[in-house]
Parts: sequence; structure tokens; C-alpha cells
Amino acid sequence: MSHLHERGPARVEANLTPMIDITFLLVVFFVVVSTISEVESVDMELPKPEPTASAPPPERTRSVLNVLPDDDGEAIGYRLNATEYPLGEEGVESLQSALVVLLRSSPDLRINLRADRRTSQRHIAPVLNAITEANTRIGKGTPARVNLVVVTRRMEIE
Amino acid sequence: MIEHRKMERKTPRVGLNLTPMIDVVFQLLIYFLLATNFALGEQVFRMDLPERGGSSMIDDPFDIPEEPLRIRVLSTAPDRQTLSINLQSQYPQPSDLSGLERFLRDNRSGAEIGLFLEDHPIRIVPAPDTRWAHVVDVFNAVIRTGYRSVHFADPES
Repeated sequence: MSHLHERGPARVEANLTPMIDITFLLVVFFVVVSTISEVESVDMELPKPEPTASAPPPERTRSVLNVLPDDDGEAIGYRLNATEYPLGEEGVESLQSALVVLLRSSPDLRINLRADRRTSQRHIAPVLNAITEANTRIGKGTPARVNLVVVTRRMEIE
Repeated sequence: MIEHRKMERKTPRVGLNLTPMIDVVFQLLIYFLLATNFALGEQVFRMDLPERGGSSMIDDPFDIPEEPLRIRVLSTAPDRQTLSINLQSQYPQPSDLSGLERFLRDNRSGAEIGLFLEDHPIRIVPAPDTRWAHVVDVFNAVIRTGYRSVHFADPES
């Protein structure tokens, strides 16, 4: 009588632990990233200059300022990181105060400005002025740094 | 020997059934894979906004500040789709973006005529209802021709 027979047929089992580990990591990654994208990347039609002289965004401290568009591309408000501000003087003043706090905490901050290609300049100029004023108020002595966000042709095809 | 076999049979196997959890996790993974929209393809133009009132530091007291070249940008009918560009009156008027690029490139210092140095201040002056895309197109054209000091002026009504 053999020992093998005694123990019964051999059980073939795949070790699923590494796969589960990786899958969990992927899920956590997507949960975190999709939350960030939702806050920072408001769905809009970004300008698409062609051929463009733009460059990939630098890896440094930055905040994202969205000019929120309606269906026709006109502005309905502003969003700095996760906080929204209404159009008009009051909203722009609140935005400016928030920018002062941000620039004080990290002087090397760059503001990524995202605006729909159809938005009128009358809604974008106050934002640029607010950034300039906020930078002047903290007395840094260097110009405010802004990144104008555009989209490349490759993205448009996708 | 019989005692030993009995012992083997009696020992209960405690195992966690992971299959439903793996199913759910995979469902989540597939959902996020499909739903996540990465901002791939987004690029930026770096721009330094000039300080209000200019700098109080004077590098050279005999240095005459250069008059900026002003480029007016308009979005004209129908539906503000058409870009219209105007330069200051003493310069030839470009009909489109490529005309503007040609003018700026031909007149940059280092070329044959050389009206402007590459750090010559250039102001893009949009109207209040100018589309952001047109402003960015002009900004892109100026940057492409090698100028470094490019800023937006407040909208001109």
C-alpha cells in the first residue's frame, strides 16, 4: 500500500495571495487618482494651439485653478483646488484671499490655469489679476508664476 | 497507524473563502480602469505675470524702457469663431496667425532687419469677448517665434 494512495489525489492550488495584493494596490491607486482628477480636471474643452510650443507640466508644487464652464463654454464660476467661487467682484476677492494663503504657505507655487477654449476673456482677466494681486500682497518680489493649460493633438484624437 | 488516521480526519480545515471578495475587487478594478480619465496630453505654457506698478528697482538709470509691441486679439462673427489680429498702426497688419508669426520672426533681432530683441516686451490685448482659445493661439505664435517677455494686458473694450 503506497503512501500516496493513502493521502488521496494530489490537490493542485494556485497561490492567489500575490495577485490579490497587486489587485488591491491597483484599486487603491485608482480610487485615489480618480478623486484627484475629479477635483483638478474639470471636464472642459481646453485650447488646442497647433503646432504648439507648450511643454509637459513641470514636477513641482502647483495648484489648479479651473474657470468652470457651462454647456456653451461661458464661465459660471471658479474652482481653486476643491473650493468653488462665484463670478463677480465678491467671488474674485475671495479667490484672491485664498491665493494669498496658498502663496504664503508655498512661495514657489505655480498656478495651473484651466479654462475652456470658448470662455470669454472678460472672465479670465479677473483671475489673472487676482493672481498678480495675491503675489504682490505677499511681497515675494518675484513675478507670479502661471501655467496656461492646453491640450495636445494626441489627446484630441483619443 | 489507525489512531494516526483518525487524528488526520478529525483536524478541521479552517479556510477563508476569498472568491467573492476577489470577484468584487476585480469588478472595482475594471470599473476604475474604464472610468478613470487621466489628463494625458495636457501641456502648459509657462507665464510670469508682471507685478503691479512695475519694479521699483532700477538696474540702469540710463536705460530707456522699451515700448511694448501691442497685439490686439479679437474674436469676430459668426459666433466669435474667427480670429482677427491687429498690430500697432505703424506695422503691417497680419491677416492671420501665420502672418503674425512671419512678421515677428522676420523682425526679431538676429534676422536681417531685427526690429525687436527676443526679450522685447510683447503685450497681447484681447477684447472682453475674445475667446480664450484665440488668446492662447496668439500667445503660442509669439512664443514659437522666440520671444520671451510675453504678457496679457487687461481686456480692451
